[in-house]
Amino acid sequence: MIINGVEIEDTFAEAFSMRATRVIITAINYKWARHAAETMTGFATSVIGCGVEAGIEKVIGNHETPDGRPGVSVLLFSTDKKTLEKQLQTRIGQCVLTCPTTAVFSGMEGDDQIALGANIRYFGDGFQTSKKIGDKRFWRIPVMDGEFLCAESTGYQKAIGGGNILVFARGISHALLACEAAIDAISMLPNIIMPFPGGGVRSGSKVGSKYKFLNASTNHPYCPTLKGRPDNVLGKNIEAAMEIVIDGLTKEDVTLAMYRGIEAICDLGKSQGIEKITGGNYGGKLGPHHFHLREIMNESYNRYI
Amino acid sequence: MSHTTVTYKDTADSKLSKRLDMRWLSKAIFDAKSEEQAKSLPLNIGNETFTVGELFNIEGNFSNHVIKIENSNSKMDYIGYALPENFQLIVEGDVGHYAGSGLKGGKLNIQGNVKDYAGCEMSSGMIEVSKNAGDYLGGAKAGNKKGMSGGTILVHGNSNNFTGDLLRRGIIMVVGNIGDYCASRMIAGTIANLGTIGKQVGVGMRRGTILLPHKPKDVISGFRDCGRHNLGYLTLLLHELRSFESTFQSLHPMRRRVQRYLGDTAVGGQGEMLIWIG
Repeated sequence: MIINGVEIEDTFAEAFSMRATRVIITAINYKWARHAAETMTGFATSVIGCGVEAGIEKVIGNHETPDGRPGVSVLLFSTDKKTLEKQLQTRIGQCVLTCPTTAVFSGMEGDDQIALGANIRYFGDGFQTSKKIGDKRFWRIPVMDGEFLCAESTGYQKAIGGGNILVFARGISHALLACEAAIDAISMLPNIIMPFPGGGVRSGSKVGSKYKFLNASTNHPYCPTLKGRPDNVLGKNIEAAMEIVIDGLTKEDVTLAMYRGIEAICDLGKSQGIEKITGGNYGGKLGPHHFHLREIMNESYNRYI
Repeated sequence: MSHTTVTYKDTADSKLSKRLDMRWLSKAIFDAKSEEQAKSLPLNIGNETFTVGELFNIEGNFSNHVIKIENSNSKMDYIGYALPENFQLIVEGDVGHYAGSGLKGGKLNIQGNVKDYAGCEMSSGMIEVSKNAGDYLGGAKAGNKKGMSGGTILVHGNSNNFTGDLLRRGIIMVVGNIGDYCASRMIAGTIANLGTIGKQVGVGMRRGTILLPHKPKDVISGFRDCGRHNLGYLTLLLHELRSFESTFQSLHPMRRRVQRYLGDTAVGGQGEMLIWIG
């Protein structure tokens, strides 16, 4: 399959099952809501080393937030409920509770709940109070600028992590251009985050390593400086490969994100130095969710347009 | 939606010189009695025993989820007792004591006055009173230690003394005035009011919130002035208060600045009395 001169390789991007939650952070203005959200989602690129993958999903207008203030929606993904809950509480406690004027609310409904303010409340040292409004409980923790308002719990659900697109380009600038176009297109979608810096990844990893203590290492077949090796897959015209990693709440969310990303890259076309789009295929070793690029581009045209 | 109508037979030789226990109605609802079954239920008034059919006309069976009571009066106690979820009781007229006591998720709409102990020890659901309420609104039965533990009470008129006594959880909204000893021994929960309030507000209060438009004439010594604040949770609370069709909808949804009093410190309480500012 070739779209606008860009080859879509006949392969699939391999993803794995995760658990995800969403919280809404509000503050006196967007500036402080963003400060809290960016701090909370910092060092949350990969579950391999960070425990959680997190990112800002979208900015929310004050008419949409529970307390009528400007807000930011944050998605967090982890491999299991326990880790997700622990990471959420640590990050809320260290990054949101500490940030002036913020409050945090549940961003996901449902019967499956994890603790949010239920444990953070102890910071109140006995001066915390709870308030049940409707069927939801909130904690009010006295802090130096007034009160930190925090929902007792938030919902979580099964999700998919590690959906991806790999771009092969004639140079770094071409690869960056492609990634930025795709990231801009994907970031418009709900239920999706791209947890790596700016949404792009230059250190794509393969499963395993020659070192026993590492379970992931550099994806050497995609490294241009190793093009002379027999297992390298980059052609002679390709000087840079970059990856966009996508975490989404459902298979449909990831599929749509991949479609929009590939579409944006192909809109630039071969004339912008983009040679090929492929996916991180680990031969089924990474996870059970396989997103076949050509199927996505075929089906998605019918499904979403 | 089909509904059941229960009409009190208001004859000249009215038997209601004594109080009438209306818990038969709850029994009929629990057991989904038919019209005839309900009419044959025994009803004690003083030391005399009657059947429901002798005092009430019933149209429809009690599997209907909306029940209308017509021609009620203030001698009828325990109307809406332990009314379960998904059932609605509409009462046209005044009712007696213990209206909606022990309510369990049902909706009780009283188009008249209620006497004492309305909504006492209710756990969830909604009671709406179009006129006035008596003492111990949302309180506990005498001798018990916990009052209302959930749900909402909305009184469009006034409520009398000991409103929210031993309140454990839930919201009591009074559009008019509240009598003395409001929120006495309150454990938690919320009382909101738009009128005036009597003396000894919050005496013995442990936790919870009293939300008032004006400072009471005498704030008891156990309450400490904590200054003026913008409290974020008030936006959420106001959203809840404004969700009911009442004068509370006149409050601005983003209003959040209040004078905060903490008490009753005489009993180690950390409840709050909030007075709207501006």
